[in-house]
Amino acid sequence: MEETLIMQSQRRKMWSAFARNRTALIGAVVAIIIVLVAVFAPVLSPYDPLAQDSYARLAPSSEAHWLGTDDFGRDILSRIIWGSRVSLIIGISSVLLGLLAGTLLGMIAGYYRGKIETTIMRGIDVLMCFPDLILAIAVTAVLGANLVNLIITIAIVMTPRFARLAHGSLLSIKEREYVVAAQSIGARVPRILRKHVLPNIFGELLVAATLWVGVAIRLEANLAFIGLGVQPPTPTWGNMIREGVDVLINAPGISIYSGLSILVTILAFNMLGDGVRDMIDPRLRGA
Amino acid sequence: MRTSIRAMTLLVLLLCFPMIPSHGHAEGLAKEQVLTIAFDAGDAKTFDPHRAASTVDRSTVDSMFNGLVRYPPGRQVGFEPDLAESWEVSKDGKTWTFHLRKGVYFHPFPGFPEGYELTSEDVVYSLQRAANPEHSAYAGEYEGVQVKAVDPYTLQIQIAKPISETLFLAKFANYAGGFIVSKKALETKGEDWFKTHPVGTGPFRFENYEPQQKTVLARHDKYFRGKPILEKVVIRYMPNVSSREFGLRTGELQIIEGLNEAKWIEKVATFPDVKVQTFGPCEVQMLHFNMTKKPFDDIRVRKAFCYAVSRAEVAAFMGESLAEPIYSGALAPPAPGALTKQEAEEAGVVYEDNVEMAKKLLAEAGYPNGFETEVIISELATSYRKPMVALQAQVKKAGINMKKLKVVDHSSFHGLIRDDASPLVYYACWRPNVDVFLTRFFHSDSTVVSGKKPDTNFSHYGTVDADGDGTIDTIDQLIEQARWELDAQKQADLWRKAQIQLLSDVSHLPVIRLKYAFPMKSYVDLGHPLEYSWQTYSPQITEKTRILAH
Amino acid sequence: MFTYVVRRILQSIPILFVVLTLVFVVVRVLPGDPAVAALGDYASKEAVEALREKMGLNAPLWLQYIRFLGSLARGDLGISAITGYPVAQQVVKVLPHTLELTFCAIVFGYLLGIPLGISSAVKRNTFVDYFNRVFSLLGLSVPAFYLGILLILLFCIQFPLFPVVGAGDFSRPVENLRHLFLPGLTLGLLMTAYVTRMTRSSILDTIREDFVRTAYAKGVAERVVLYKHVLRNAMIPIVTLGGLYAVVLIGSSVMVEIVFSRPGLGKLMVGAIKQRDYTTLQSVMVIYAVIVVMINLAIDLIYGLIDPRIKYD
Repeated sequence: MEETLIMQSQRRKMWSAFARNRTALIGAVVAIIIVLVAVFAPVLSPYDPLAQDSYARLAPSSEAHWLGTDDFGRDILSRIIWGSRVSLIIGISSVLLGLLAGTLLGMIAGYYRGKIETTIMRGIDVLMCFPDLILAIAVTAVLGANLVNLIITIAIVMTPRFARLAHGSLLSIKEREYVVAAQSIGARVPRILRKHVLPNIFGELLVAATLWVGVAIRLEANLAFIGLGVQPPTPTWGNMIREGVDVLINAPGISIYSGLSILVTILAFNMLGDGVRDMIDPRLRGA
Repeated sequence: MRTSIRAMTLLVLLLCFPMIPSHGHAEGLAKEQVLTIAFDAGDAKTFDPHRAASTVDRSTVDSMFNGLVRYPPGRQVGFEPDLAESWEVSKDGKTWTFHLRKGVYFHPFPGFPEGYELTSEDVVYSLQRAANPEHSAYAGEYEGVQVKAVDPYTLQIQIAKPISETLFLAKFANYAGGFIVSKKALETKGEDWFKTHPVGTGPFRFENYEPQQKTVLARHDKYFRGKPILEKVVIRYMPNVSSREFGLRTGELQIIEGLNEAKWIEKVATFPDVKVQTFGPCEVQMLHFNMTKKPFDDIRVRKAFCYAVSRAEVAAFMGESLAEPIYSGALAPPAPGALTKQEAEEAGVVYEDNVEMAKKLLAEAGYPNGFETEVIISELATSYRKPMVALQAQVKKAGINMKKLKVVDHSSFHGLIRDDASPLVYYACWRPNVDVFLTRFFHSDSTVVSGKKPDTNFSHYGTVDADGDGTIDTIDQLIEQARWELDAQKQADLWRKAQIQLLSDVSHLPVIRLKYAFPMKSYVDLGHPLEYSWQTYSPQITEKTRILAH
Repeated sequence: MFTYVVRRILQSIPILFVVLTLVFVVVRVLPGDPAVAALGDYASKEAVEALREKMGLNAPLWLQYIRFLGSLARGDLGISAITGYPVAQQVVKVLPHTLELTFCAIVFGYLLGIPLGISSAVKRNTFVDYFNRVFSLLGLSVPAFYLGILLILLFCIQFPLFPVVGAGDFSRPVENLRHLFLPGLTLGLLMTAYVTRMTRSSILDTIREDFVRTAYAKGVAERVVLYKHVLRNAMIPIVTLGGLYAVVLIGSSVMVEIVFSRPGLGKLMVGAIKQRDYTTLQSVMVIYAVIVVMINLAIDLIYGLIDPRIKYD
């Protein structure tokens, strides 16, 4: 009873900290708007993002096409609106997948120790031997570029990060009394992990996940710019920048607007992630 | 007429620059004679002329090597002497004798600081190398060809069966296997060394190469047509068109490979100091129907597909300054024997621009509501994606739903289509003559997967009953007959006949051809007109190319 | 200390071995045929077959694997399947460009990031702090290739101050620096963001430590406390963690190399993938792995040198 009260008051403090943190608030609002845009893309976009108008290719902005058209005569605004879907789907689901796989691996390694731990953590070390983008380029090249494969690719890049984080946090709380107590009364391992360990490392994972959504979106854009992204004609911001750069002299808007969209989205998630961290980590609160 | 114009131009030039000293620079020329040309490529693949296949590699070797004969630079119609001064053919058409030019020197290389004079030995060695599949990508062209040196300046080439001059000289011109390499360089330094240190007789010699950055060619002082005006040619590898365009604007680059996008070219042409010239031969874009796969085994479906397409609209979509409709896949004139629009119309094999007819044919074939199909295409925008999306939109009106254009990277694309993975194959390329075009795309031996020498016969023509009359349709005999026909007129007629048969069986749909565009600084003088450049697909850099004062 | 170094290196060996195997597998399962890629679609079937044989692609996989390990053990990176150039030679030519770019970015990062971080920490929760924080968040969020394009448009086209084509020549330092400036800045802004954030939080952490409070309590002037006590202690994590970001920068340099058409390891790798150049691709990936392992090793060692609490035994 007393414990719940303390938790409630803690939670209230966290929320008020969050609300006072203007950066986080702005980040959250922008992120929500972008999510809404992605969800309601079919309603919001004035045109079908794939519809071509061969007579209005590379048209400048006009009343019919607010941001103009690209070299296939497709409406840029509609493509940017639809592009949010790909970025968000890839960004969020790859991080979730990485979070799931990484946390599981990290917790298993941290809980059982011994050979299992060595095997898992060495495997993680191997993946960490490559810079993110380099690993992502290699994996996409092998799998081939489509939406699902890109999610898998980026999840593979994210997994070791989450695994190390979960592993490290687990080791630090493992010896705490309540875990030891739960063990001594014979609680089963999954239950201990779920009931006692996970809630305690959850905050840290959540912060990391929010920040890494930004990283994942940027990875996707980088891959697209290299030519290893979701294959055209699917509208994605990375593809649009890449194709827009070719016709920069005709229609600078294509690259500039889609680049801005990526920038704003990543910025929003970074601001949100920073804010959530300040909220959870009391040391930094108000700092 | 042309010769006299050229003579006049030369005269005018001579008057303008009465004395071009061998050192220092004449008035009217820029002080620094260094030409930088940037290509749409990540890197060089090879400097071996017998392997070079990409645009940038072909351009690089073109400046370093010569053939026995050559296509006139920038026009490329007919042949003119290159390393050989003259040639004649025996009465039976089987023995060709070439008389080599004297005083042709190879580029200097370690062990031969002054180079050495080319003799028939080098030519024999080089042609044998070109015929060896281990060292040459064009070995197939030289089957049954015997070469021997008669004396240092004379050589004889024997062929088992006589062929026309058009086909024969093409094998020994300044293209692919016809480029003459240095025997002594290869023998003393070895194949591996040669790959990265090419030695030829051309106006420019290899100086150095920096991976992913550039290759520098320096002038070959002893070039037999005279000392080149340019001191250096720098070939840059820049896969981003925007970077190339920036470089052209800042003057760091003088010639760039452009984007095959009409609007882009129009815009670049408005930059100060920049001129854009479009030139042939044009990349030919065709759609091959896989006649072993439903529903394209039915000629009515294929015809319906053609009727649903408007070539003019595709060309307009690609930009009329670059694209034009074609009616046969073989390169339209000037290639001898390529079918013109008029000839196709007379033969009644132009099916286009008639959606009603398309729907009717589909209904007859049992698809009153149309059908769906998936197509694999390459990631390349101008050669594949743009025309394909234009086609996709057009045929949809007739009920043919190419619901998914599966875009894959270019190397995977080439693998997949050769495995019969796509029912429709859009293919963009250029082939040097009608024989090669017909053989590689429509001879039964070239059928993908199942042919004797699987190549690029994606339609399986020659192995299936194309028109539904119960017999297998083939043009194999016509191809062979034409190949061995010595009379140029008769040969061209046979080739036209074969093309008409293909079109009436609707094995493929010829769509458009695309010209190339290389924007350049207005002060670059190539030294030759630029109408066709099919050996390199780029402006050739010769000894006459120069940079004017600016 | 010495035994620690030896042990760390020995520990890296099995990891590198697994990395090698992984690289080998990754490269073999790439779709597409390198022989076709090398010869172009016009080449005859026999020529393609001959080249496959020559490239050793027709050998059984295990044999190719053994050859791969064998030549690596001899320090031989093989010969590029496409160009015929020794891969080692290619790497030697491009690696300095990547390293110079990364180094330049780190210099930019510290030069800009430390002052920004200090001003942020000192004037926390003022406009300066907010501005710096948003600026560093922007640095973290902007894709390098996008920033690169914007910088080119601004400083090469609008105000033609810097060249756009390629990298400089090492023998001409001034020209080289002119070529390096914009790419270095592009990558450097990312580093600036990291350094600003690290500096700020490191200083804020240090300020709370007892010795700082004591100094304040003793009445030492604020400025003196800041520079004498706080900064000196806060620098330790800033410098060492900086090394960690070198790994991120080396990865991100690919994008900068592409946008500025500079040669480099990343561009070599992307080119090798596009051309299906197995030998080059596997060597470049191995080199990346070795670089990362070495950086990690270096960080561990530097950590120990700076922080005496860590003992190597």
